[in-house]
Amino acid sequence: MTHSVKHHPSISLLELYCDGSLNAEVALLVATHLDYCPHCQQLCHDIEADLGGQLAESAAGSSELHATDWLEMMNRITATPQLPKATPAPAPQSLLSIGGYQFELPRALRRIAGHRSKWLSMGGIATARLPSGEPHHASLLFIDKNTDVPLHTHQGLEMTLVLSGEMVDEHGRYVPGDLIINSPDDTHKPRNVSDQPCLCLSVLSAPLQFKEGLTRWLNPLQRFFY
Amino acid sequence: MDLVMTERHHGPEPSTQGTFSLSGSEPVDRALGQWEQALALVALKRDKHAYHELFGYFAPRLRAFGIKMFGNEQQALEMVQDTLLNVWQKAALFDPSRGCASTWIFTIARNVRFDMLRKKQSRKDDISADDLWADGDYPEAEDQQTQKWELWLISEKLAPHFAALPPAQRTVMEKVYLEELSHQEVSDQLGIPLGTVKSRIRLALDRLREALDDSQR
Repeated sequence: MTHSVKHHPSISLLELYCDGSLNAEVALLVATHLDYCPHCQQLCHDIEADLGGQLAESAAGSSELHATDWLEMMNRITATPQLPKATPAPAPQSLLSIGGYQFELPRALRRIAGHRSKWLSMGGIATARLPSGEPHHASLLFIDKNTDVPLHTHQGLEMTLVLSGEMVDEHGRYVPGDLIINSPDDTHKPRNVSDQPCLCLSVLSAPLQFKEGLTRWLNPLQRFFY
Repeated sequence: MDLVMTERHHGPEPSTQGTFSLSGSEPVDRALGQWEQALALVALKRDKHAYHELFGYFAPRLRAFGIKMFGNEQQALEMVQDTLLNVWQKAALFDPSRGCASTWIFTIARNVRFDMLRKKQSRKDDISADDLWADGDYPEAEDQQTQKWELWLISEKLAPHFAALPPAQRTVMEKVYLEELSHQEVSDQLGIPLGTVKSRIRLALDRLREALDDSQR
């Protein structure tokens, strides 16, 4: 396969994702990567098995809770009805329209990104914020065919996941599922040189040491990308 | 109520599932671990005795886990109750061919905790655990990764990275690749499920690959 995912999250990142301690925006990025990547699915499966084993092997701890309190909790629970064996319905397919194209969203983004309509467009690129909180911003980034993303730097960590189409930068070529992480030191120039439009999920961590006014002067595009 | 402290058991290897459900030649108690069986009884018969066993074993462990995570008893107990409520109500959704009961219970607790923390920030239309964790609806991946690594592992290049593996993974790797034990023998010797042996090998191999990539940069 010439189009398989080549740029993966590190194991440490997968571990943080599996134990639930990653912030929601970066976790969403990892979850979306998994929708494209059987290799990392398997690794996460293994990490979860390991963590589950650790829970089962852990000491019960000196319980200061009275046995009667536990019993009460258990009785409250067993008094509730059980749910029938029906797998919860998967989120419905959702198509996203931008720039005259339609994109099918991966599972992880269906609910969150399915109804984004507030796009901010400029030239052949457009971006839409997803619900996310400080200090991270998650957004969708659309790059039309044969379009360069203007040269930009960023103060925080920039993580980009290709969802559809492909793009290139100084370091390589990226296809759906590929994860690109750029540190604040990287100045890079992503381009879509193909004749297909490209859709990405982008997560930016907040510019930490950042004089907002000054930076707006220096890099008016910052507001756009952040 | 007595807290039932029973010996820990684990689910079988996925490959033995067929024998259990189809031929019937294997008695149930040999094919499925204790907790997997208990979940099946809860799902099929609303068996309160089986649930009692699960609750007695996992409730205090989840509480200790919750206190470590939240730093307070109140939220820890909220997490325990929500998690074990899910175990009771959704037992029918547990699929032993996808992993141990302990893994399933852990992932429920993780999701409950994640949503509790997000809810505190009270944002609507927010990212939720349901978006982030697919709940095992990915198909099983083929396990072909291990073999192509065998040759690499004896190379001296990897030796320094071996020492940096997490202890549990290193132990398994040493037994498999230095003492040349089979996965089953390692499982028996260490008293851990075969699936865990394989999981740890895969994780260790990926770690070694990362270390190798980094050192070649």
